[in-house]
Amino acid sequence: MAILEEPLKSELKLKNYIGGEWVESASDQVQDVVNPATQKVLARVPMSTKDEINAAVRAAKEAFPDWRRTTPLARARCFFRLKALLEENFEMLSRVQTMEHGKTIDESRGETRRGIEMVEVATGIPSLMMGYNLEDIASGIDEYVIYQPLGVFCHIAPFNFPFMVPLWYSPFAIATGNTFIVKPSPRDPISQVKLAELIEEAGIPPGVYNIVHGGADAAVALLEHPDIKGATFVGTTKIGRDVVYKKCGETGKRAIVQAAAKNFIVVMPDANIEATIPSLLTSFFGNSGQRCLSGANLVIVSDDVFYKKFLDRFVEAAAKIKVGYGLDESIQMGPMQSPDGKQRVLGYIEKGIQEGARLMLDGRKPKITGDYPDTCFINPSIFADVTPDMTIAKEEIFGPIASVLRAKDLDEAINMANRSNYGNGDAIFTTSGKAAREFQYRIESGNVGINIGIVAPMAFFPFSGMKDSFFGVLHGQGKDAIRFFTESKVVIQRWF
Amino acid sequence: MRLNTASQVISLARKLEEDGAQLYEILAQRHGDNRETWLSFEKENKKNIVQIETAYYGVITDAIEGGFAFDIDPDEYITKTEPAERMTYANAKMLAIDMEEKIMKFYTVAAEQSKSLLADVPRVFSAAAKKRGERLQRLKAAT
Repeated sequence: MAILEEPLKSELKLKNYIGGEWVESASDQVQDVVNPATQKVLARVPMSTKDEINAAVRAAKEAFPDWRRTTPLARARCFFRLKALLEENFEMLSRVQTMEHGKTIDESRGETRRGIEMVEVATGIPSLMMGYNLEDIASGIDEYVIYQPLGVFCHIAPFNFPFMVPLWYSPFAIATGNTFIVKPSPRDPISQVKLAELIEEAGIPPGVYNIVHGGADAAVALLEHPDIKGATFVGTTKIGRDVVYKKCGETGKRAIVQAAAKNFIVVMPDANIEATIPSLLTSFFGNSGQRCLSGANLVIVSDDVFYKKFLDRFVEAAAKIKVGYGLDESIQMGPMQSPDGKQRVLGYIEKGIQEGARLMLDGRKPKITGDYPDTCFINPSIFADVTPDMTIAKEEIFGPIASVLRAKDLDEAINMANRSNYGNGDAIFTTSGKAAREFQYRIESGNVGINIGIVAPMAFFPFSGMKDSFFGVLHGQGKDAIRFFTESKVVIQRWF
Repeated sequence: MRLNTASQVISLARKLEEDGAQLYEILAQRHGDNRETWLSFEKENKKNIVQIETAYYGVITDAIEGGFAFDIDPDEYITKTEPAERMTYANAKMLAIDMEEKIMKFYTVAAEQSKSLLADVPRVFSAAAKKRGERLQRLKAAT
C-alpha cells in the first residue's frame, strides 16, 4: 500500500490575495484546515474582517476599467498561460485537494481536469463574446448587440469541490472583462490559494482576481456590498435561497445560486446490470456522496425477481468499496470532509431505521484501509424498502447513503421523482430508447442522465438545475455564463 | 492485492513499460547484434507511457467511474525483467517474449474492463495491446 507523496509538508498560514498582493489578515479569528483522513492540521485560515472584504472589492473595482479595455484576445492569452501552468501543476493541485478534502486521487484528478476545462473554454472568449447584428431594421438603420462586462463579481464557494466549483465561474467572468473575488470554503481553501498563485504567475493583472478567506460574515459582507454586480453561490438550499438569493435581490445583484439536491436514479428492468453497477457506485458513493449530482434515491422498476437480483448485486459491490486515505491509489472512497458531516450522515441512518427502512449495508462502523483515526470515516450504507414519504427519501443527506425505492413502472418512477422539491440531476438506466425519451421529456430535473450516473455538464454546456436546486435565470458554464457576466447593449444606428 | 482504481492501473501500466524499457536497455548493451531492435522497443515503451498517461489525465473527470472500473490482479502481469548476468541470447529472447505476452494480456484485459467507462483510455490500451502483438511476432522471428 503505497501512499503518494504529500505536496503539503508543513502547516501553512493562509493569506488573502488582494490587488495582486498576498496580504496577511488582521483578524484574530482563525480556523484550522484539517486533513480529514489523517486529522493533521494543514493550514490556518483567517476569518477576514469587513475592512479586508472592502479592500478586495475596492481593488477589484479599481482594476476593472483597465481590464475591460484589455482586448479579448489579450485576455484569452492570459488563460492560455494559466492553462499551461495548471497542466504543469496538475498532480500537485490534485493531491492538495485530496489532502484538504479527503477525496480519492482519481476523484481529485477528475476535479482538476474539470477545472482546467473551464479555463480552456474561456480561451475562446473572442468568439464566445461576439454580439450579433441586423442591417436595415428600417431603411438605412442598422441594429446590433454588444456584450459588455459589468464590473466586480464574487463567488462564495462550497467545500465539496474546493478547486473546481469556483472555476465554473471565474474564467468566464474574467475572460469577459469583469473582475472577480473568490471566498473559498474555510474548510478546504488551500487549492484555491494554489490556483491564485498560478493566476498571478500567468500574468493576470493585480486586482482582476482576488481571494478573501472567511466564513458566513465574509460572505454576507460580499453580498451586501454595493459595488459588487453579481454573485455566484453553490451550497445548501436554505442558505442559497434565504440568504444569497434574497440579498442579491435586495442589492440588485445578478445571481447564480446552485443549491441542494435529492437525485433520483431510475433503473429499468432492461438495464445492463454489469455496466450499470460501477456507474451507480460512482454516483452514490463517489466523493463520499458529497456532491450535488450524487445519486440519492435508487428507484428500481421491476418485479420481485429483478429487484432482488439487482439489489443484491448493488449491495455486494458497495460492500467491497475500499475506504481510506485518498492518496493511497487503491482507495475507492475517502472520508467525509468533516466530523460534522459524518455525524449528520449517522443521524440520517438512525432516522431511516426509525422510519422503517431496511438497512441492507451498514456503514456506521467504518472499515478503514490503513492506520487512520475514524473521526471522519464512514462506509457506504444502503437502505431498502424506502418509501417516498420517509425523511431519507426526501432530504439531502450529502453522504454515502443509497435509499432504494421500488416503482411498478416508469410512470410511477417519474412521478415519484417529480414530487421531490429538488430537480438537480436525475438519471435513467435502460436499454430502451422509448423509456429514455419518455424520462428525458417528463423528468423535472435540470441535468438529465441516460445511462450516466453523474450528470455533470461539460464546461461548454450550462450546469443546469430546477426547483429548489437552483435560483436564478442563467446558469454557470458555457454560453449561459457568458450572458450572465455581460450586459447586452443594443445599438441602433443611422448615419445622416 | 487486486487493482480496482484507474490510478492503480495506470501506475501498473507505467511500471510494466518502465520495467520493459529497462530490460531492453540491458539487452541492447549485452547482445549487440540486435541492438537496434532492443533500443527501438525501449523507445517505444517510453512513448507508450506518455500516450497512456495523456489519455488518462485527459479524460479523467469527476463524473467518470475511475474508482470502480477495474478488477485486475497485477501478479498475473508483472514478470522478472532482470536478466541473469550470463544469460544467453536465446534465453534473453524468451524472457522478452514472456514479458511481452503478459503485457499484451494486461492491456487486452484492461481495455475490456474499462471500455464503457473511460473513453480514450481503453482505446489506448487496445492500441498498446496491438503493438505488443506485432512486437511479439518480431521477437519470435528474430534470430
